Amino acid sequence: MTTIDTGERRRGADTRPVITELIDEATVEAIAQEAWISLVGEDEVLVPLPGEPVADPLSSWVDVVGPWTGSVVLTTGRRTAEELTRALLREHSPEVLEDEDVADAFGEIANVVGGNVKAALPGSSGLSLPDVGDAPALRNPEDVCRVDLLWRGETVSISVQGALPPLPAH
Amino acid sequence: MRALVIDDSRAMRRIVSGILEGLGYETRQAGHGREGLDVLETGWVPDLACVDWNMPVMDGLQFVSAVRSNPALRSMTIMMVTSESEHTQIVRALAAGAHEYVIKPFTADAIRDKLALLGLLPQEAVL
Repeated sequence: MTTIDTGERRRGADTRPVITELIDEATVEAIAQEAWISLVGEDEVLVPLPGEPVADPLSSWVDVVGPWTGSVVLTTGRRTAEELTRALLREHSPEVLEDEDVADAFGEIANVVGGNVKAALPGSSGLSLPDVGDAPALRNPEDVCRVDLLWRGETVSISVQGALPPLPAH
Repeated sequence: MRALVIDDSRAMRRIVSGILEGLGYETRQAGHGREGLDVLETGWVPDLACVDWNMPVMDGLQFVSAVRSNPALRSMTIMMVTSESEHTQIVRALAAGAHEYVIKPFTADAIRDKLALLGLLPQEAVL
């Protein structure tokens, strides 16, 4: 049997969606607002304004693996992450927060935001357990959907960013 | 009434346990499915298990399957409380034997409403 090479298969493999084709900033912001109200507190709102650059940043993220592969990354200042932890734990918050407490609570916020971002993407995807530390490197500046917000006047950014480098140009 | 809360996030365990205790439940906590089974093996069998999906060691779906394969635990109601909100995942959890599904983020009222549907609101919470 003769197979005619139309180039279709190669073209299919040479393209993949970037996140801005799949989700917009308004959706990411709405997901974050809902997570904040539920987890952080009913009166806690995220203001859609860019704040000052974060001096001592801490990030939490989950990885999404599927038709689109990347990470949902929350970044804020370390002290703001501690404040978020206290807000989350409410009366259960210990007097002295351990790094582990902050990693757990800040990671859970990334888990909830990331899970809902994943659900908004087409197709079926897997979700990793959350991680906390220095944000994963940005691999493709075209494959990013980022929202900058303020919580209690402090900068919180949410970046939905691809894990793969750009495809070579043809 | 008793509830077992299984989630790898301590913060989330505290939030869910706090809601349930506010409704009158006695709660215990576990950090993953295997720990949850360990609690059940002590003979402390709850009326309700609130189970996260993505956890290390043993995930929520594996926990549901393990519980459902044990006839002694047949009376226990399982509610998935998870950020896995894809329809296919919900169907998988229900097919494995979970009774209800709550998607994170949730409110205390959402948990209460689900428990009311399941007939698992303690008397003091109904009054």
